[in-house]
Amino acid sequence: MNCPRCDPPDNAALEAPSTRTKRWALVGGPNTGKSSLINALAGSQLSVGNWPGTTLERLSARLDLGPTQVELVDLPGTYSLLATSPEEALVARELLQHPPDLVLNVLDAGNLERSLVLTLELTELGLPMVLVVNLLDEAEAKGLKVDLEALEEALGLPVAGTVASRGQVAAVLPKAKEARIPSPKVRYPEPLEKAVDHLGPWIPNRGLALLALMGEENLPLSQEALEAVQRARESLKRMGHDPYLLALEGRYQKAREVYERAVHRQGSSAPLTERLDRLVLHPLLGLPLFLLALFLTFRFTFALSAPWVDFIGRTQEVLAGWSGALPLPPLLRSFLAEGLVAGVGTVLAFTPILFLLYLALAFLELSGFLARMAFVADRAMQWAGLPGKAFIPLVLGFGCNVPAIYATRALSHPLDRLRVALAIPFLACGARLPVFTLFAFVFFPQQAPLVVFGLYLLGLLVGLLTAFLLGRVLRADRGEGAMELPPYRFPPLRLLLRLSSARTGSFVQGAGGPILLAVLAIWGLLHIPLLGQSPYALLAQGLTPLFRPLGVEDWRLVGALIPGFVAKEVVVGTLGVSFLGGETLAPMGLWEGLRNLGEGLVQATQGTLQGLTSLLTVNLSLTPEPTPLQAALKEAASPSGALAYLVFVLLYTPCVSTLAALRQVVGLRWSALAVGYQLSVAYLLALLAHRVVP
Amino acid sequence: MLSLAQLSPGHRARILQIPPEKKRLLALGLRPGAVVEILLKAPLGDPLEVRAGEAYLLVRRAEAKGILVEALSVAEPHELPPVRPTR
Repeated sequence: MNCPRCDPPDNAALEAPSTRTKRWALVGGPNTGKSSLINALAGSQLSVGNWPGTTLERLSARLDLGPTQVELVDLPGTYSLLATSPEEALVARELLQHPPDLVLNVLDAGNLERSLVLTLELTELGLPMVLVVNLLDEAEAKGLKVDLEALEEALGLPVAGTVASRGQVAAVLPKAKEARIPSPKVRYPEPLEKAVDHLGPWIPNRGLALLALMGEENLPLSQEALEAVQRARESLKRMGHDPYLLALEGRYQKAREVYERAVHRQGSSAPLTERLDRLVLHPLLGLPLFLLALFLTFRFTFALSAPWVDFIGRTQEVLAGWSGALPLPPLLRSFLAEGLVAGVGTVLAFTPILFLLYLALAFLELSGFLARMAFVADRAMQWAGLPGKAFIPLVLGFGCNVPAIYATRALSHPLDRLRVALAIPFLACGARLPVFTLFAFVFFPQQAPLVVFGLYLLGLLVGLLTAFLLGRVLRADRGEGAMELPPYRFPPLRLLLRLSSARTGSFVQGAGGPILLAVLAIWGLLHIPLLGQSPYALLAQGLTPLFRPLGVEDWRLVGALIPGFVAKEVVVGTLGVSFLGGETLAPMGLWEGLRNLGEGLVQATQGTLQGLTSLLTVNLSLTPEPTPLQAALKEAASPSGALAYLVFVLLYTPCVSTLAALRQVVGLRWSALAVGYQLSVAYLLALLAHRVVP
Repeated sequence: MLSLAQLSPGHRARILQIPPEKKRLLALGLRPGAVVEILLKAPLGDPLEVRAGEAYLLVRRAEAKGILVEALSVAEPHELPPVRPTR
């Protein structure tokens, strides 16, 4: 069974005292509870970042083991080292190019046979390993008894049994001390073994040789080795063998053998998951239940966060009022109040929304509901060439684009993530609504709701078309839509809270700086005089000729688009200031400010409680109060110009925070491209709108 | 020959053939020789929920068409005896 070339078991590497931080990698299938495990092992030390050079999420934690420090890293869930998505490709790349000091292979006790297929593949890499059989409780509920000792014996590796969601992980660390480099366990059919032997001189690592033979293309191999692989693959094919199927067959056979030795069935019942699925995915009930879940997610994220966003806005006013009362030159006061405080406030205002969104998403994902929602929505999303899971970020986009873009991280294929993330900015978020209603009631009083609805629809169409076309451009074959429906689970609340706060923190760190800078830049544009005039007015007047073909000829309208680049919330306010004259900063005393804050806190708490009890209600108010601004606007454009303006506001870059989110999710290059694309689409469709409407 | 897409919920089948380039389906456990059971269809008729061993999988119709199977039971779904013994 043992391969003659492989190293003997070696414990020295693990026991040698060393001051350097050791890296332990968690490798396992999707839904095997790896994040629960890392949470149970390391507690509060959880952190979320990106894998270097990628936009894939990297979950890690520090572990203090007396003399040694360990960095636990959660690799993306995968069924095999032979990747079917870039996320899975990362697993093989990390293991081969930055070999960890220890591989913690996490197995699903309830689906041990398939988990073992990956384990067998991992034993071929020559890395120290320990097996963690997680979800023992679920296996038991299924009537499966896993004999851990028999498993140790069959594989020659230490095995720890855990129920990570309940914190039962005590066996892991002692077993990790016994970790060793396994000998390969699978004896493949003769032709494949021969091919591996034949590749020996070029690729001594058995695991690497097998991966290459099976058709994995992105491997760290020399040109000569690649040619040898190509020859071996061709000769196998000539003999009528598919190397991938041969290897899979060998592994499944061995996995079955081990499974039968280690798992005993003690009677069984139709699992709860199967019975729940009959209800949740019912032909008639399924769709309404799906819409209800979608609606609840939306309301949870936006209704519960609104009071806290208001509170942050209020804090911002108080801080601005305080800085207004400081004995400083007016320009500096304004910088503090309208630049710095406003900038930090803009960043912080997203944190309640993101925290709740991450909480909702983590719950949906870890409980198994997200996969069911994807299942129901899959058919509809196939029209746009997207997976079912894409539905959720798209719906969230109507609330706020920023959390929606982060929600695309639930999509397992980075290309799908990119396509949905680039579609989202076209969706009419809540901040665009005040602009729509203002203009719609001024210029189309009879059909205002229709115009607003039409804009929402246009945004959705442009977004979906973008995703569809991008799919056509970037990928010839549509990939595979198959995915696993994990069993229903109660995710541990602590894990949900920790994941959500770590992810929210990653937003503040990664996106906070750029947003702040952009707000400060706009402040400078508005307030620092240049040649005796505000650079804002100069820029707006300079841009106006560009907008003439759209029927937008008033520079004040064009000007409002500039701060609108930072946040759509300020468009109406900017219009107010430039049409009706500025408002002065109201200074605030210390006590007045504190009282204000106290009131705000009480209101926010009340608002949250009210929000909880009214999660299922909707309030739609479209009628704005008549204002002097409306009268002033009436003179500033023609109806067709106003419509073009609205189309442009709908489709051009929504806000700098969306850009910062895009940069974190799809990278700088795509974000820059997205801005150019958004501006061109907005301009062209606005032009069209101006031409179509008389 | 039958394809997986032709079966209705409640039916069981053994996979005979699956295109070797469908690596994801294979990795999920849909490999030649595996026994699968169609559990249900999504409310919009597509995709299918399929049980393969202990795993529950979402398989799109378009892909199910490429998976050739032999049916193991042909009874109407509601006449099927429980697939697994209940306690």
